Amino acid sequence: MSGIGDILHLLFTANLWQATLAAAVLLLLPALGGVISERSGVVNIAMEGMMLTGAFFAVVADLAWHNPWLATGVAIVAGGLMALIHAVVSIQFRADQIVSGIAINIFAAGLTVFLVNRIYGLQDVGHVGPTEGLPYIDVHGLDQIPFIGQVFFQQNVVVYVALILLVLIHVVLFRTRLGLRIRAVGEHPQAADTAGLNVFAIRYGAVIASGLLSGLSGAFLAIGISNTFVPNMTDGRGYIALAAMIFGKWTPFGAFIACLIFGLGQAIYDNNSIIHVSPYLLSMLPYVLTLIVLAGLVGRSTPPAADGLPYVPGSE
Amino acid sequence: MGHKRLRFLGVVAAAMVFALACGGTTGGGTPTKTYKIGLVTDVGGLNDKSFNHLADVGLEKAKTDFKIQGDVKESKSGDEYVPNLTDFATKGYDLVIGVGFLMQEAVGTVSGQFPNVHFAIIDGAGTDAKGNDLKHSNVVSLFFKEQDAGAMVGVIAGWMEKNGKAKKNKHVIGAVGGVSIPPVNHYIAGYKWAAKMEDSSIDVKVGYSNNFTDPAKCKGVAQSQINAGADILFQVAGGCGLGVLQAAGQASVYSIGVDADQKDADPSVIASALKKVDVATYTAIKNIVNNQFTSGALTFSIANEGAGYAVDNLDLPAELKAELDKIQGQIKAGTLIPPADIP
Amino acid sequence: MPLGSVLFAFAVGAIICAVTGANPIDAYSGLICGGFGIACTQGENPALQVSNTIVFLTPLITTGVAVALPFRAGLFNIGAEGQLLAGSVACTAIGVKFGNLPSPILLPMVLLGGMAAGALWAGIAGVLKATVGAHEVVTTIMLNYVAQWLVRFLIIGGPLQLGPGTSKSLPIGEGARLATILPADNSLIIFGLPASVFRVHTGLLIALAAAAAFAFLLWRTSFGYEIRAVGQSQKAARYAGVSVRRTIILTMLIAGAFSGLAGAVQIAGVDHNLTDKYFSDTTGFDAIAVALLGLGSAVGIVLASLLFGALHSGGAIMQSDAGISSNLVLVLQALILFSIAANFVGAIRRGLPFGRKATPDLPPELPPAAGLMSDATAPPPESS
Repeated sequence: MSGIGDILHLLFTANLWQATLAAAVLLLLPALGGVISERSGVVNIAMEGMMLTGAFFAVVADLAWHNPWLATGVAIVAGGLMALIHAVVSIQFRADQIVSGIAINIFAAGLTVFLVNRIYGLQDVGHVGPTEGLPYIDVHGLDQIPFIGQVFFQQNVVVYVALILLVLIHVVLFRTRLGLRIRAVGEHPQAADTAGLNVFAIRYGAVIASGLLSGLSGAFLAIGISNTFVPNMTDGRGYIALAAMIFGKWTPFGAFIACLIFGLGQAIYDNNSIIHVSPYLLSMLPYVLTLIVLAGLVGRSTPPAADGLPYVPGSE
Repeated sequence: MGHKRLRFLGVVAAAMVFALACGGTTGGGTPTKTYKIGLVTDVGGLNDKSFNHLADVGLEKAKTDFKIQGDVKESKSGDEYVPNLTDFATKGYDLVIGVGFLMQEAVGTVSGQFPNVHFAIIDGAGTDAKGNDLKHSNVVSLFFKEQDAGAMVGVIAGWMEKNGKAKKNKHVIGAVGGVSIPPVNHYIAGYKWAAKMEDSSIDVKVGYSNNFTDPAKCKGVAQSQINAGADILFQVAGGCGLGVLQAAGQASVYSIGVDADQKDADPSVIASALKKVDVATYTAIKNIVNNQFTSGALTFSIANEGAGYAVDNLDLPAELKAELDKIQGQIKAGTLIPPADIP
Repeated sequence: MPLGSVLFAFAVGAIICAVTGANPIDAYSGLICGGFGIACTQGENPALQVSNTIVFLTPLITTGVAVALPFRAGLFNIGAEGQLLAGSVACTAIGVKFGNLPSPILLPMVLLGGMAAGALWAGIAGVLKATVGAHEVVTTIMLNYVAQWLVRFLIIGGPLQLGPGTSKSLPIGEGARLATILPADNSLIIFGLPASVFRVHTGLLIALAAAAAFAFLLWRTSFGYEIRAVGQSQKAARYAGVSVRRTIILTMLIAGAFSGLAGAVQIAGVDHNLTDKYFSDTTGFDAIAVALLGLGSAVGIVLASLLFGALHSGGAIMQSDAGISSNLVLVLQALILFSIAANFVGAIRRGLPFGRKATPDLPPELPPAAGLMSDATAPPPESS
């Protein structure tokens, strides 16, 4: 089996880790969204749909206006609007949050292709030109550091934004009053309500934030990496992000580590023209790994106490 | 119990259903013949930027040229192939076209049930469950010698490596396939074979994304090949493969498109291997309209211009042009035969 | 079945159609024709449409049950798809390997084999949940992916591959196949078409039996009581002497067996071999919607399967007759889910609950899935 040796060799290349980080960030953004949403007590498995919607509208907007920043804004808003549906249905109407999430995902998958069909007819969705996508930026100076430079400082602009957001969200959640409120609403909504917090408003905000982040990830996928829209191009990333979030015990950095594991799995798989292991078994690896980790190392994962429970004012 | 009783039951039930349906439309010929053509896509759907899309292009062209009614069904999942084909067949369509290798068994089944309806299948034959061609007299298989097209772009890649015209000149090129299935591997086979013929020292990296819809996946595979020294990359992965073109553009190396001319997808695209699914679809329809349907296989290759190549964002050197013309001539004449399996 | 919710969804769907320039009446008449064979305008054969709908709804019933049963125990089985794939793999492997055995022996073998494989697949999630508290939503999603890649591995280059260059398995033996209701005969004409186009098979009876078994198990057995007790409150169930761990594991095993059976029946009744079409199969995901729409009751699940089977069958007709992308069907399915989950119809009747004056009894009578993210997530301490 030279396969194992090939993989070991790969692990010492900066290329592999550069690819790992990029793949991880695609998952990290929706995972962070999931963390915020679930910390406030709203289960969110709809990141897949929000991301797909973001990807679609990013391309539509970029093709129309030839401005990636504007297009990214549109994608973020589109993701946020999908999240708003989830919020209205699951907070206002107190629907089962998992059902609402599944509905969002089905809705997005159907709607995007339906709209492709109505907007472009049977024609091809166009291509975003190389200068009209979200740019890759080498951070001047830092990108020259051996190994580290290539991994961290030769990336798409979204990667830097995501890493900043990672730190920011961690700080906000655990070091600020706002974060305390979000967590209070997720753990003890009744107590939070009694203490004068607006449970509904905080949950709305948190769910919408998850949509904004997922929309950004969709924009990264569509006009940062792919420069076009292909139906179902998110390919289950929202679900992996969900797993990463739980794997990471509802913390930003925990989720990030999980995303890195999935990203690494993808990056290793990408080298299948060099390593010779069945590509199908290789593809299976991250998922099996997650199961093993869930079974052994992480085990008990405890979500916020009121996660998934609609808040009914005055109950209990 | 025998067929007699069943047949009786069938007649009774049929009468009931027709009564229920308030005597639905009962055939009736139209005064001037408008040919009805039905196209069934595979799960890739019409916006797949690949053969489903091209098949539809062929249908649209036929619509403008002939007096036909063309209808399309997109299959959202594999279990819709049989019902979608059957629906067109029951409505008396003159030609039902199944797009793609994945639909072989479905076409085999349905064509057996409707011997009076003509079927065409792209990239395959009407087969039984064991993959044997049933050779129904109402089925025409539209095959492509993808290896011809692959060989032509392989010549370009190999020649450029050999003559120092590529970006890195390490004599390494790559190919990224979607899934390891015959139509994909034929392309890669011709490409690898021809590149080796041009440049015997060349190393051809072959990888698969296991995906036809997610460009990011193909981009990753392409980047790993670029990191391994490849400076010309051939994508054979439909919509996913657009990521290969992106990867090449970003790394300032060359790429080669597939199926359609992908010049506009990225400036890195120097050539495209063409598989003229639109021509095949159009031809099948034309044969129906002209009453020239023949069963069996129609093979589209360089020889009948059903496969070929396009030179895209590249100033073609005269020497390379001469080489391409020479090889194309030899393939046409049958003195050079690109292999169908990856050497 | 919450009919109002379905109508609400169709109303919103009509608005989406109209806004994007498609004619909703054309769209829905296409769907109705395609789903039920009624009011067809383009010469569709009504019997064929009904037959297609039945073929589509058959696996939905069994997988719907496989989602609904764990719901009752407060477990969310998103893994019906993976369990279905496991069942179809086992059915194929046995049906090919022992292809020469006669039907009375082989058919039970493939069906039971499928059930066992599905049970195993779900059992992994059940055991992980009961012992270390690993969240079943995550484990079943992971198991879905593993199953999908396993199928690819097996039929592309793996041990079940028919031959080089193919992406399917050998066909299962004759003895492993379920009979079709009408003879699979191309020369026999029934309803004006060759009999073999009507693919309705005896698997429908198996699916209905599965729905009946589900109802019996849930309401007529002591284990069913335990499932419901655990779903209501793990704490209370524990006080009542119910072993929560055992119940969780057994519930998942049984649910997996149902999904596995659906996969096996699909192979034995429709496909006869494992093909690349299983890469794009979504039955196990549609089953979640079916279970919810059916409000977790056997009759409801059958009716919901009928609706979803009809939508599936109708989408293609809508596309070719009205020129509207069959993806509208997905949009409608999502709207139905929203509408049921949120009980929009009830809310409208009550006056919209904006602000905080909403009545506490607003959420619809759903299976107790909502609470699962909290109470059911912690590993139950064994106290008996």
